[in-house]
Amino acid sequence: MTGPMTTTAVRRTETAVAEAAPAKPPRRGRRLGWERRRAAVLMVAPAVILLTWWIGIPTIASLVLAFTHYDVLAGTISWAGLGNFRDIFADPIWNRSIWHTVVYTFFTVPVAMAIAVAIAVLLNSKLRGRAWYRAAYFLPHITATVAIALVWMWMFEPNIGLFNAVLGQVGIQGPAWLSDPAWAMPAVIVVSVWKGIGLKMLIYLAALQSIPPELYEAADVDGATPRRKFFAITLPLLRPATFFVFIVSLIDSFQVFEQVYVLTPDGGPANATTVMTLEIYRSAFGKFDMSRACAQSMVLFVFLLVLTVISRRLTGKDSDAEL
Amino acid sequence: MRSSKSEVVLHLVLAIGALLMIVPFVWMVLSSLKSHTEITSYPPTWLPRHWDFGNYPEALKFAPFGTYFRNSLIIATGHTVLNVALASMAGYSLARVPFRGRSALFVAMLATMMIPTYTKIVPQYLIAKAMPFFGGNDYLGRGGSGWLDSWWALIVPGALTPLAIFLFRQFYLSLPRELEEAARIDGMGEFGIYAKVMTPLIKPAIATVALITFENSWNNFLWPLIVTTRDDLRVIQVGLAAFQQSERTYWEYLMAGTTLATLPMIVLFLLTQRYFVQGFANSGIK
Repeated sequence: MTGPMTTTAVRRTETAVAEAAPAKPPRRGRRLGWERRRAAVLMVAPAVILLTWWIGIPTIASLVLAFTHYDVLAGTISWAGLGNFRDIFADPIWNRSIWHTVVYTFFTVPVAMAIAVAIAVLLNSKLRGRAWYRAAYFLPHITATVAIALVWMWMFEPNIGLFNAVLGQVGIQGPAWLSDPAWAMPAVIVVSVWKGIGLKMLIYLAALQSIPPELYEAADVDGATPRRKFFAITLPLLRPATFFVFIVSLIDSFQVFEQVYVLTPDGGPANATTVMTLEIYRSAFGKFDMSRACAQSMVLFVFLLVLTVISRRLTGKDSDAEL
Repeated sequence: MRSSKSEVVLHLVLAIGALLMIVPFVWMVLSSLKSHTEITSYPPTWLPRHWDFGNYPEALKFAPFGTYFRNSLIIATGHTVLNVALASMAGYSLARVPFRGRSALFVAMLATMMIPTYTKIVPQYLIAKAMPFFGGNDYLGRGGSGWLDSWWALIVPGALTPLAIFLFRQFYLSLPRELEEAARIDGMGEFGIYAKVMTPLIKPAIATVALITFENSWNNFLWPLIVTTRDDLRVIQVGLAAFQQSERTYWEYLMAGTTLATLPMIVLFLLTQRYFVQGFANSGIK
């Protein structure tokens, strides 16, 4: 996306600098160029240092630590080979946490995407109060997950909460939601779908606005129904956006932590909501087994990498424009 | 074009959807204004029978939400200022000045954007803990607690985001070259061109990055949770989560606390929607 454009810009700027000082051509031009480059390097240096220190080194360190036994308290470190990986995959709770993450993703991502695309299409018409609707759908995305999760926790309260009160009105005895192994995960999923709609809708809305209206006009001339227009024009043209939303949501979903941690602090009743990130958190800051946590985070990383590559393959080249 | 009947249906569908999105917020505020007896009685009421604004000062007495609030404000403001300053400089440099290795640097920065939080969180914690000469540590970072339980850990690691650099770079790229050339002929240095000529032209980008940074920082939970244990350094989100775990029954105080924690973001968002929307639609990445 930026490669060829950047090089041309570079070349152009260089010529421009040379042309700007025609009086003393070579020496002054080179000096000016050198001063500019020095200034530029100084300006980018804080960013390089911070990102290397807080993202570059930690990423590599995480990979290395995953293959070691590191004792934080004693400060000792020894090579472990694949030992950590053998250990974690022998742990039924870790294996369940992978399954829970997959289940959570399977239910949140497609559902929120379907709702988001529907709302985006509805909102894409010239409508009074459009900005207000958009704000309402986007509000959950802006607000803190922790605060939001606490409000939902209150609504899920089995005896005096909003949900069971409403269900009680129609004669249904609601479940104990977060303390019921069968209902804890669905409850977390509902919160995530609710919170995830806004951002997806916004990306879809931006994509919809780039569809040329002539296409719909031509379809109108041919007498196409709205449903036909949606499936023949809108949806195919939304493919790059769909790919983009899908990948971003998938990556977010595999890293869900806050709503799970707040709604079900111990991973839910009988580990019913234990997801991979919660296990990583417990390994690192509950058991202080940093190597184990790093090994687990590497498994999560591989999952995300594989998912990204597969979906890239599936959607082909047209998606490159979006990333 | 559109028949009025279908427009009514459209409005109805969208309004029901929008209502479902804001019900939790409404329920939060209404709950924060109910008395303890009313909130614990069944069936729940929609509107408080007696509007109990006293829950707010009571909640502040019950847990130091005021301190948490202040801490979050300091950190979010610090992150915003630092991120705008450092990322705009880097973005300018990467967009407008040719130097050796620039493309490689840019690709490397894009790569850091793709690295998931959990891949780096454990070593980040270990680095903060092993910061030499801080918190009783020796020069090798041994012995003490380093940056743990300090403002350093809360502010420095999150001060710069690759996303902000990326957004700034895109905006700087869109500016015409003639401007910097004119300034250069006038004898202005590179930093002057950045600060006095180019940056004033990308104010919308600054607003966008500032708002997204503030929002992320205000809502951040995991990092402050793991690097602080001291009550006076807690941020509002961590304080709320801790309050819920220790005082399960005081829903009216908890809802007052969550209202205090969410209100600034809601107000900020409603006032500056345009920039938020622009930022999220352009980047799509968070």
